[in-house]
Amino acid sequence: MNSTPTLLNRILIAVLGLKLLAVGVLLILLATVPAVASWWHSWSAGAWAGANQAFSATRFPGRSESWLWILVALVLLVLIGLMVAWIAQQGKGRANLLALEYDPGEVPGDVRIGGGVAEQALKHALANRPDLAGATVATYDVKGTPALKIRLLPRQGVAPHLLADEVQALVAALEAVVGKRIPVLIHIGAGARTRFRRAERVR
Amino acid sequence: MSRHQEDQSPDMGRILYRETHSTRAAVATAAAVLVIVVAAYGLLEAGVHAIGQPAWLIEPQVAAERLIALPAGITPLLLGAIGAVLAMFGLVFFLNGVLPGRRARHLLAGGRDAGRPAVVVDDEVVASSLARRARLAANVTPEQVMVVVSKRQVVVNVRPTSGVRVEHDAVLDAVEGELAAMALDPSPVVQVNVAPSGVIGA
Repeated sequence: MNSTPTLLNRILIAVLGLKLLAVGVLLILLATVPAVASWWHSWSAGAWAGANQAFSATRFPGRSESWLWILVALVLLVLIGLMVAWIAQQGKGRANLLALEYDPGEVPGDVRIGGGVAEQALKHALANRPDLAGATVATYDVKGTPALKIRLLPRQGVAPHLLADEVQALVAALEAVVGKRIPVLIHIGAGARTRFRRAERVR
Repeated sequence: MSRHQEDQSPDMGRILYRETHSTRAAVATAAAVLVIVVAAYGLLEAGVHAIGQPAWLIEPQVAAERLIALPAGITPLLLGAIGAVLAMFGLVFFLNGVLPGRRARHLLAGGRDAGRPAVVVDDEVVASSLARRARLAANVTPEQVMVVVSKRQVVVNVRPTSGVRVEHDAVLDAVEGELAAMALDPSPVVQVNVAPSGVIGA
């Protein structure tokens, strides 16, 4: 529901994984297959000669250092910046406003309803239910439209469809108060789940 | 600031896809941190070299020469082990990027039509609800029922109390009735196993 760039994540992770895999397989082959070792000697010696030539051709006049090192440092800085930007994209997308409308009435100005209205109202309505171990409500910004995510943690054995129906009634009441249809996602979950488990076991 | 908010609901199918599939945020962060650490070390060595200072850990010239001579200068076992570890990390990242990454969740069909909220349920919640129904239908204690919910299959294992028959069809009917009321998407098939041996004193 948040705006984590899932496709970008997949592509970048797959590319990095492929590169690590290639390097690892090359190292294993170098250690085991002599033919690969001789190919590696000829190839890498050629590549190193080319790099050496580039470095010696780009020396500072009158000094032994190459300005190519500064270029390398700049490229690495840009790479680090891109990686930080990538991390910053994860889990973004929380919003503050539930509704933002121009008021056509006589009083000039806009009407704004904060996401806290829905969050507090629904949390309060769900707080004292005996069949719930917990409930959280959050407002997200989904492509410019505010949407609500209601996460319910029912106790064991609660029928999820009946719970969902009752929460839908609460959402309908909230929509009547706010005066606007709100896209809502209800997630009925289990707490302290372990990851990487396909089948769920419950006594 | 008098921007009109269009009264269009966002693409609910997209939201539901994102809720039932992993975002790989943790793996992505780990990958980014890995790249940052390697790039920071490279940046340090490049910067040190650019201003003509001695290298911090290893001179790039020496490192490159060692890389070229690679099968020599290191035991094959260590080289192979390093390669295997790198390849394993690479495989983990690659599979994380390529596999579908479904979460153990189902949709409740009520959320499909527009206007009503979309509902996503963890398989664990479905399993505990079905276990309760199966337990009531079989008239056994909670310890004697185990339900496993996967994408397209629900397996109900019942161990009867010794001396008391458990009606296989009654349990199946109860579980299927509960599943029909839930209207899960994708809809799983129910399989009920009644254990041949009973539990004493339950």
